[in-house]
Amino acid sequence: MADRILKKDNLGKLVASVNGNGGRFIAPVLDARQVVFKDVTKAEEIVTEYILARNSYKEYVFPQTEVVADFTVEKHGVDLKSREVEARETVVFGARPCEAASLSSLRAIFTWDYIDEFYTKREDSLVVVTVACTKADDACFCTTVDLSPESRAGSDLYLLETESGDYMVEAITDKGRAFVEKYKGAFTEGSGKAKTLVMPEKIGTIDLEKVSARLKDKNHYDDQVWARLTRKCIGCGACTFVCPTCHCFDITDEGTQFAGERRKNWDACQFDTFTLHASGHNPRHYQHQRWRNRFMCKFNYYPEKFASKGCVGCGRCIRVCPVRLDITEVMEEFSR
Amino acid sequence: MSNNIYLPHLVTIEDIYEEAPDVRSFRLVFKDKALRESFDFKTGQFGLYSAFGLGESTFCIASAPTRKGYIQCTFRKSGRVTGGLSELSIGDTMGFRGPYGNFFPVDEWKGKNLVFIAGGIGLPPVRSVIWNCLDRREEFGDITVVYGARTVADLVYKNELQHWGDRNDVRLIQAVDPGGQTEEWQGKVGFVPTVLEEAAPKAENTVAVTCGPPIMIKFVLKALEKLGFSDEAVYTTLENKMKCGVGKCGRCNVGDVYVCKEGPVYTAAEVKRMYNDF
Repeated sequence: MADRILKKDNLGKLVASVNGNGGRFIAPVLDARQVVFKDVTKAEEIVTEYILARNSYKEYVFPQTEVVADFTVEKHGVDLKSREVEARETVVFGARPCEAASLSSLRAIFTWDYIDEFYTKREDSLVVVTVACTKADDACFCTTVDLSPESRAGSDLYLLETESGDYMVEAITDKGRAFVEKYKGAFTEGSGKAKTLVMPEKIGTIDLEKVSARLKDKNHYDDQVWARLTRKCIGCGACTFVCPTCHCFDITDEGTQFAGERRKNWDACQFDTFTLHASGHNPRHYQHQRWRNRFMCKFNYYPEKFASKGCVGCGRCIRVCPVRLDITEVMEEFSR
Repeated sequence: MSNNIYLPHLVTIEDIYEEAPDVRSFRLVFKDKALRESFDFKTGQFGLYSAFGLGESTFCIASAPTRKGYIQCTFRKSGRVTGGLSELSIGDTMGFRGPYGNFFPVDEWKGKNLVFIAGGIGLPPVRSVIWNCLDRREEFGDITVVYGARTVADLVYKNELQHWGDRNDVRLIQAVDPGGQTEEWQGKVGFVPTVLEEAAPKAENTVAVTCGPPIMIKFVLKALEKLGFSDEAVYTTLENKMKCGVGKCGRCNVGDVYVCKEGPVYTAAEVKRMYNDF
């Protein structure tokens, strides 16, 4: 049941208001012929005909690179300054229901006993405005991981597109309700006829419970199946960068030995140096061991440790993979 | 007060000890006087040490919590950060974050005999336990230390080895790998697992603690099993690559076990239950 209508003619007003308040408005736009999430200042930039943005919106809660401290090395010692996150209202418009479900997984990691405020402060000021899917492609498999275009988890506002191009707005969270109230000039009373949602077909040969049980049995670890299925992986890490739940990062100093910044930078468990010890020993020496780690992280560590989803079935890793390594094929293998 | 979990404390290098070729120890004191007084840790915990401009590296705290007012770390110069740290001098400033991770349950070992087995640069974490127990000597039974390195020069803490050897309440067995001995060498020649088997410490009412290269640990565990040690009485510390130290960066996990959060100290029984991801 829709609470409000967001008329397409009012979208520009909303974009301007959020920006005018010092906030950021993120939406899918065309960039180098790809649909990607970017900052927008005008509603005209926003693309509506798309399946999924190529990047996940995780970069707005977990930036690719982020300064955590500044230092200068002086004669008397080191001057070290902590960076604080400026919590700006950040609206992500046009997220899909699959990726909206990923935030609770990221939060589980970034608040596991030690609170990473660089993450939490950004997430706390993030408003996820999901637009339900009226299109899907062969890479979409949300229904296979128990999500669907109707899933509300993680969305603050859940929008249905109408035949006339407006949006029926359902406020899911308090944050969503407060957002509608704050920008009430853009949200109006009314109704419309919602476009039909498109459900990706569930991959019938995949049984998540079987996958989970197989992964819990530690004997599979040395099984040849990993090498056989993932031999073609070239370790580029693209899957991890577009994935809405991948969270691995590096901490590194940039600058000189006299002045610089300490940064958190995205990293990937698919890289050969990721776990390499100074001694030369590498616990994950082979690429299939790295691939196995990512799969385990999604279908064992996240669900078992944090009771959260490691994979939301958005299919980005399948679309972006240069060697067409399809994660659902591995899920199928472990469903046998 | 910053809630930035990645922000290190500033520490001053109060002293530097050359332990072995490319291996140094730093004695570190917190710049913050209040922290210097209040800082506490448990034996087996680790920290992240910064060479500003180069980054952070993970090592155990090699000193014992029974020695207050400073911490010591020991590292081998092997990469960018440890290379940078090696160039620092007494009085210089570096960074420290920690203590992180779990610890050796020393309090549970009261009344037991202790056997420490270390190889090469694996002695520093064990040293923390050894001094912790020596400083509370009356609480424990027999103490045996088996330590080996590739060559005589590679043995770390040479002064302390001599001290432990001189004490009559410690049985110290030193070894170097075949070919690593000098003419003056009076210790054993052989690999640590073999030397351990020959020393044959009794398993009854005894706890074993081991750290060293993965291949050494593997064979030490076998030797201890042969000597009758149960997997629950054998402890080791896993040293995986880490960046955050607080369960977020995603690289220290052995299967589903995050070494930084759930380790680094494990019993042999726990290690055997892990995924083969070493």
